[in-house]
Amino acid sequence: MESEQLIDRLATGLRPVRRLPPPGLQALLWCALAVLVIGFAVAVQGLRHDLAQRMALPQELAQFLASIATGLAAALAAAMLARPDRSAAWVLLPVVPLVLWLGGLGWGCFADLGRMGPDALAMDTSWGCLKFILLMGTPLTVALYLLLRHAGPVRPLPVLLLGGLASAALCSAGLSLFHHLDAMLMILVWHGGAVAVLVVLGWALGRPLLLRAPAIPR
Amino acid sequence: MVAAQAGDARAYDALLRAALPLLRSVARRRIRDAAEAEDAVQDALLTIHQLRHAFDPARPIRPWLVAICERRAIDRLRRSGRRLGRETPIDDFGETLAAPGANQGETRVASAELRAAVAELPPAQRTALGLAKLEDLPLAEASARSGMSVGALKVATHRAVKALRKRLGAED
Repeated sequence: MESEQLIDRLATGLRPVRRLPPPGLQALLWCALAVLVIGFAVAVQGLRHDLAQRMALPQELAQFLASIATGLAAALAAAMLARPDRSAAWVLLPVVPLVLWLGGLGWGCFADLGRMGPDALAMDTSWGCLKFILLMGTPLTVALYLLLRHAGPVRPLPVLLLGGLASAALCSAGLSLFHHLDAMLMILVWHGGAVAVLVVLGWALGRPLLLRAPAIPR
Repeated sequence: MVAAQAGDARAYDALLRAALPLLRSVARRRIRDAAEAEDAVQDALLTIHQLRHAFDPARPIRPWLVAICERRAIDRLRRSGRRLGRETPIDDFGETLAAPGANQGETRVASAELRAAVAELPPAQRTALGLAKLEDLPLAEASARSGMSVGALKVATHRAVKALRKRLGAED
């Protein structure tokens, strides 16, 4: 078939389409949904009793804010990268808060080590962290993929990765509001690990939500 | 494009036709093969159609079209790269096998059969055939070397060739 014939086919029977909202608004919408859902889950669990004390510690507060910033930045970057004409440099947006967040956790491990000695390295299992981040994060990730499914034909990979990161980072922030984990190493392993798992899951399983082959209209 | 998003088929048709040279140049820059590049252009047209609701009219359309076409061209290249990696065109090679000796198998079998057939000829015929046909000597010299008369040589050679023909199944 000639390209001109294809254009004829595409143009005949053209139906009006509803324009997508701008990417910034899409990101905002999704973040609002995420905050609502995670806020609800946190409310059900109840805030941790020593939250006010923890948040008075500048380092803990900084980490909390960095994880939220990572989530918001990743969501905005994903929404931007879902549009073909936006710069690929958007992918760098969540890098700074992510480094601050994980770096802060890593630095906290050493601080713990100095303060508590070898006790700081005591590893424990905390399947609850993993479960919360995966259970809350997966539907949020799916929602973001569906919102950004127009990314499929053009730039699916960064959207898949950033979508998982955005959900996991916000869930981790919510988790730290009610869950008792004092050793930084534990937080690093269980929160960071859950984030990594969700990102990999999104990357591996998210494709069908994004990738749909265009059909030739008859 | 704004009109096309609202459903104006004529505006859409005009837009795509106007964009065609741009798309073709983008595809040709990436893909050398003309037919393959045109396929990429058509892929790009389909993607543009699929994503027409995602275009933001506040932004210029050119980078949007170029980005989509670049992506489709790269996809095409990757796919053809994968196909070429899996397939080897065999037309150029005929029946050639990888090891050079393997291709001479039939010739070798034939010559072995011929040698065996020659070995079974009577000694006089074998000598006559060797001198007159293989070493290609003049009859007089062959006669001098073998001690056979020219007439006897002729007869022996003729019989030898006839016997070989019969033996190797060349006689119709």
